[in-house]
Amino acid sequence: MSRSYLFIPGNTPSMIQNLDVFESDAVIIDFEDSVTSYDKDAARILIKNFLKKYSYKDIDLYIRINSAESDYFLNDVKDTLDLDIIGYVLPKASVKAINALNKLSSKKIIPIIESPLALLHVKEIANEDNVTALLLGAEDYTKELGIKRSLEGKEIFYARSIIAITANAYNIDSIDTPYTNKEDMEGLLVDSENALNLGFTSKSSIHPNQVDIINTVFAPSLDEITEARRIIKKSEETNKGAFSLDGKMIDMPIIEKAKKVLEKAKKYNL
Amino acid sequence: MGEYSERKIKVIKHIDELFTFIDIFEHKNISFHHHLRNGDYVLNYVLKKYIKENVQGINLFPSSIFPSYLGILDLIKNNQINDITTNYINGPVAQYISKNGLPGILKMQTHGGRARSIIEGKSKIDIAFIAAPYVNHDGDCVGYLGKNKCGSLGYAIADSIHAKIKVLVTDNLVDVAILHPEISGSNIDYILLVDSIGDSQGIVSGTTQVTNNPVGVKIAKNTSTLLKELGVIKNGFSFQSGAGGISLRVTKDVKDIMIKENIKASFFSGGITKYHVEMLEEGLVEKLYDVQCFDLEAIESLSRNKNHIPISASRYANPNDKSQIIKDLDIVILGATEIDYDFNVNVTTDSHQTLVGGSGGHSDTATESKICVIVSPLIQGRIPVIKERVTTITTLGKNIDCLVTERGIVINPLRKDLVKILKESKLKILTIQELSEIAHNFTNIPKDIVNRDKIIGEVEDRTFEIIDYIYQK
Repeated sequence: MSRSYLFIPGNTPSMIQNLDVFESDAVIIDFEDSVTSYDKDAARILIKNFLKKYSYKDIDLYIRINSAESDYFLNDVKDTLDLDIIGYVLPKASVKAINALNKLSSKKIIPIIESPLALLHVKEIANEDNVTALLLGAEDYTKELGIKRSLEGKEIFYARSIIAITANAYNIDSIDTPYTNKEDMEGLLVDSENALNLGFTSKSSIHPNQVDIINTVFAPSLDEITEARRIIKKSEETNKGAFSLDGKMIDMPIIEKAKKVLEKAKKYNL
Repeated sequence: MGEYSERKIKVIKHIDELFTFIDIFEHKNISFHHHLRNGDYVLNYVLKKYIKENVQGINLFPSSIFPSYLGILDLIKNNQINDITTNYINGPVAQYISKNGLPGILKMQTHGGRARSIIEGKSKIDIAFIAAPYVNHDGDCVGYLGKNKCGSLGYAIADSIHAKIKVLVTDNLVDVAILHPEISGSNIDYILLVDSIGDSQGIVSGTTQVTNNPVGVKIAKNTSTLLKELGVIKNGFSFQSGAGGISLRVTKDVKDIMIKENIKASFFSGGITKYHVEMLEEGLVEKLYDVQCFDLEAIESLSRNKNHIPISASRYANPNDKSQIIKDLDIVILGATEIDYDFNVNVTTDSHQTLVGGSGGHSDTATESKICVIVSPLIQGRIPVIKERVTTITTLGKNIDCLVTERGIVINPLRKDLVKILKESKLKILTIQELSEIAHNFTNIPKDIVNRDKIIGEVEDRTFEIIDYIYQK
């Protein structure tokens, strides 16, 4: 359960050193797109040495390895198996690729849904072992579809909806695609709220300055926390599965939702 | 503009002519202001004459020294300079003095201390050469008009009154009266005409934009949250921040809080940028007290907005000036190249003992403000900002209240009132030793390489107390 997932290039010591500074709930150390081919081994060596010396108990650390089809996949996994990370973010996800990764590791997997084919198989992907969240990769997805990517994101409405619904149905997290204009904080706010309203539980980012807004959007508001506290209090007082509060019917799904809100509030010190 | 009077001051067309009236060998204590910053032509132009005449034993009093002031370097290498008294020094002259020293001493003063020293006769200036962008025949002058305008002339005012001989150096002599001159012609002895006093574009050198660097953004956020929790961002508060990227980001964040909570400030002071001007024009602050313009937008504002007020360095920060502005300053945001366990701050030298700056208004504002916040990355270029003992003390630790970094905040234990307010805070508040240990976890403890064999300079606080020495590197 994280609100924010921040991508940090795996070959940039100044960023790696500060990975716990930016208040992102989860950090994805990237070995893929932000690391050029001649730097892949350098990134692995840097991260291996860094994470052997430093540990981060308050941050969920992931590594985005290169795709299962790439020449780097095997070394990416083998060289990081013994590191203190939560799991792997797997680009160009497919059932086959997840199986390949599961044969090498039992860590958590966040597949990136970034092709039309992956979107069509999203239920199967969500149902694979160790898959704990789905991440929409809108840049590659729209590229494969041959359509233009816009900041408004109308073209990814369907993909967003399917991923959010599927993740919810399989009780795993859904992570929205990054907002690519790192200067436009108002646009980021609107984009994050759109994702939240479609059912996403979190959003990824490509720049540390985006984390603050994402954390705010994906955290429960003070009103929601107050309401949740009232629901849980009444639930404990009445000891019933269903009851009325302010004229509204409260039943188990609402009580469970309230519990989740309070769990998040506690986790994020709200 | 008012009426033009009949009084005339001697107008001189060449510097050689000036020295037919003045014995150059008897007037070797000379001063300059730095309002044209790295775009200034006047200092080098005048010093060329001193080089040509091979004047020995010169004592220089420039308010600051910028990288383009290479005439000073020529004089030093010719062994013509004895002492230099200034507030800030950067660039080749700084590098040379760091390695070689001076025949005499480098005295680093504060902005307020310099004005006080001149007014009280401690600094005795023979000739003040004042770059003047807009001058009339009365010798009245402002800095915010003219083709090479530089904004406020705050640092030149004391010189223009108390030097033995006052020379306005201008490329813009006009035939109109000036209603509210910054420099009054009644004090001026000569007007020296030159082709150009400088390049006003050069005044923006050394200043920065609001930072978007994520570490800087985090520091600024921590700072604005700290100020909010301390309850000091409230109606009528006063504020000063430098022109550094992080300081300006703090200003932006404070602005956001002010808009959200409908708060209006009483004044901002010090060096003024376009960001401060925007807040004045948006009605978020009543007045700007401007001792120095950092960009062209600030200069334009000074010429059109009556609530953007140029002030002298004395009014700005002289502790003995009864109208001193910063005695009413609530918050100041300042930088640091180093800070030590006693909260002493260094902005004069780097950790390799090279001169890289100086107090300017650092010690003045830290001393007078109700809350002085130092903002800095915890690690800069692989060197922790916190040291056991700073290389050079620029501002005494007793005047520093808070240190804000990306990894935590330290409150000076002397400020028990602030510690009490923040007792229940969710901010990450640590001791300075704890924060230092976090840095050392990444860098280890750097070896102290400071050489303290030969004194080349001294740091004089606004009280005239020598608070530290500068050593040859």
